[in-house]
Amino acid sequence: MNNRLEEIRKKRGIKQEELAKALEVSRQTIGSLENGRYNPSILLAFKIARFFGMSIEEIFIYEEENNV
Amino acid sequence: MKKTTSLYFLTVIGVGLLVSGVYFIKTMEDPQGMLRVLPYISFGLGCVIFGHGIGEIIVRQAMKKDPAAAKQLEIDKKDERNLAIANLAKAKAYDMMFFVFGALILGFSLMGIDLIVLLLLVFAYLFIVVYSTYYRFKYNKEM
Repeated sequence: MNNRLEEIRKKRGIKQEELAKALEVSRQTIGSLENGRYNPSILLAFKIARFFGMSIEEIFIYEEENNV
Repeated sequence: MKKTTSLYFLTVIGVGLLVSGVYFIKTMEDPQGMLRVLPYISFGLGCVIFGHGIGEIIVRQAMKKDPAAAKQLEIDKKDERNLAIANLAKAKAYDMMFFVFGALILGFSLMGIDLIVLLLLVFAYLFIVVYSTYYRFKYNKEM
């Protein structure tokens, strides 16, 4: 799953540490989310969306796998 | 989180076990049967309990002095990625244990060790398998 977390965070001038503190997660989690190495739980996704005042879909981009 | 008083109590028990272990190792002359290993078990257990207790007390004291560090420690402990990593690592270790235990049982049986010891190992192996299956069903119902 891709996301626009890094782009949105940088646009708002927020550091990874600050975002991590606000969301009560580790800074490494924010880094992994931004790199796309880790997909958040639905609760964390909601927390992130609420923090930025956006919907989950605006931040996280779901791409269907082409298995056909 | 454990209460600080119970931690002090645990530490005192640890010291008691440690001291009594050392005392009996030094004073017992020609011990027989279980008494040969009991002081060493007491010493070992004492060390572990004392170490755990004193470690926790030091961490609590440090957390009291620095609330920001305490908060960060709490966040790191509850962090969902850290928990996911810990659970994945545990699952990997379980899979590995499954093979190691199986190989060990096979090796021991080929070496022709005592049947009681072999059966104990087999039952321990089966117990773990049953335990895992039980939780699989339990979580299947819950989730």
